[in-house]
Amino acid sequence: MKCKRCGKTPAAVDLPSHHAAFCPDCFFVFFRRQVEDGIRRFSLLAPDDRVLVCVSGGKDSLVLWDVLMELGYRTEGLYIDLGIRGYSDRSKEKVIAYAAGRGKEPIVVDLRAEGAPIPEAARISRKEECAVCGTVKRYFFNRIAAQRAFTVVATGHNLDDEAARLLGNLLHWDGDHLARQHPLLPETSDGLVRKVKPLWRLSELETASYGFLKGIDFVTEECPMSVDATSLVYKEALSLIEDAMPGTRSKFYSGFLRFRNVPEFIAKSGEDDRPAGTCGVCGAPSYTETCGYCRLKEKIRKAMEQR
Amino acid sequence: MIRVRIPQKNKEIEVRGPRRVLDILADAGVRPTTVIVTRGKDLLTKDQRVEDGETIDILSVVSGG
Repeated sequence: MKCKRCGKTPAAVDLPSHHAAFCPDCFFVFFRRQVEDGIRRFSLLAPDDRVLVCVSGGKDSLVLWDVLMELGYRTEGLYIDLGIRGYSDRSKEKVIAYAAGRGKEPIVVDLRAEGAPIPEAARISRKEECAVCGTVKRYFFNRIAAQRAFTVVATGHNLDDEAARLLGNLLHWDGDHLARQHPLLPETSDGLVRKVKPLWRLSELETASYGFLKGIDFVTEECPMSVDATSLVYKEALSLIEDAMPGTRSKFYSGFLRFRNVPEFIAKSGEDDRPAGTCGVCGAPSYTETCGYCRLKEKIRKAMEQR
Repeated sequence: MIRVRIPQKNKEIEVRGPRRVLDILADAGVRPTTVIVTRGKDLLTKDQRVEDGETIDILSVVSGG
């Protein structure tokens, strides 16, 4: 199979969803254009932004950092060490090695030092690991961005992640989450930093192909905590449909973005989603007197005391 | 024989070559849109033919959480 763009070189990536196949060089052009289009569509980033890129050591976040640097954005990487024995250490090594190769040093938050490693936080709070992880990560994304004067936080969520999340939200008719699902969450007057997902147009297959062809050494093992994640069930269901009808996943998510403000319940659900005040303990924006992260830390502290 | 490694599952199989990537994925019970297939530093398209004596890796691209 020849590259459909240059017509000369053998293709390395075939993309039935785009009726296309590309050689490595033409695929890089295609990929960068998809990111640029995704950024432009919703004005995710401006040239003068200081971008905090949240990197896990996996393919999506390292590819995001790579492509944003290549597009000329001012970026720094933030790695949150989740305190998962073995996996976190190996992921951190990948992030540090990647950054060093680009003359950078990531900002590192160590949850063991912060007193909230994910396995213990989940066990003590009796919540799902991925839910606790989400709460803690969002807290530090915002806190580090605010402390160090970043104008925007960027995460490596891709099309598959967003389509799976959309399917889950629709299956449960979760109006609040549907209202907040978007590649751009604007900053708020009470201290939440803008959050963007510049890879929202690109599939996992495309980010993995880009990372591999660019020689990015990302961690390929899965987080051991995510084995039972519900998002994997939604991804499996969508990939079954995608294999039979290429391009469906993209139409599903982009259609939602086009029509998301139309259904009345979504618009109404989103009305009160801004934190009204600040956390009495740490000062972060919060719906409640004490924010979710500080409540979690307090639970862990009490459990430790009782041991 | 073609050596097919699936490192994330610590699994390895052998299939008789020559064989297309798409057919090897079917042998291994893997859905094509959920993986990339590599041979050394090359990324293989699903229609590519693999010969006896070659080694390929099947890498899952699906991340959870």
